[in-house]
Amino acid sequence: MQRHGNNENNTEECEVTVKIRFFARFRELLGTDIVTDVAPGTIFTSLIASVAKKNPEGYAAIFDETGAFHEFVILMRNGKRIDIADADKTVIADGDEIAVFPPVAGG
Amino acid sequence: MIAIQTDDVDIGALIAAAKKQGTGAIVIFDGVVRDDDITEMELEAYVDVAIQELEKIARDASEQFRLLHVDIIHRIGRLLVGENILIIVVSAGHRPEAYAGSRYIIEEIKKGVPIWKKELTKKGGRWVPGEHGHGKGPS
Repeated sequence: MQRHGNNENNTEECEVTVKIRFFARFRELLGTDIVTDVAPGTIFTSLIASVAKKNPEGYAAIFDETGAFHEFVILMRNGKRIDIADADKTVIADGDEIAVFPPVAGG
Repeated sequence: MIAIQTDDVDIGALIAAAKKQGTGAIVIFDGVVRDDDITEMELEAYVDVAIQELEKIARDASEQFRLLHVDIIHRIGRLLVGENILIIVVSAGHRPEAYAGSRYIIEEIKKGVPIWKKELTKKGGRWVPGEHGHGKGPS
């Protein structure tokens, strides 16, 4: 499990803790099971962008040049899919498990 | 049984267990690692979510096609050419329901269950693109 962020010494009680899980190619580029503390009110898209920016190739795999999710990217919050159109208005809550992955290929 | 696991399964035992009262047909789907000039295949899953979705697919198939029994076992980890990837066993009173139910299950798995395959070759690896979703992802 990884710890992300620059706020390890921040003792504000109001921060929320989330876990981010990348899969397949995204996992190879960005890691997975990343636990991070974020400010209340953090938006889904902003959270993923801030974590993905640690690897330009990983960022480019998930976001286009305008900073929007590529249309093929699949998003989940606590095991439920979120439409890309809703990610910009989805507020992260304490304990959320966020998953970001490419199209599935099971079977 | 609905499972995502590294180990192979005893298909004969699954068939025996699928013979519930009223069974007239059992259909087995066995997806196998094909020799596409690869050395191995690596499979990965978002296990908790994938299990929930496989269970829902099994419930939906059972209702829609009056199946008497459903097993879905999807393997993950590294598999060699010829190894089983996915085993689906369904039983029904008659063959139309058994065939249709089996086909429904595999197509629903390919549409959305969070599982991925990477083909490993002598030159490296390549992620298998999805057949569904919002277009195909980068290779």
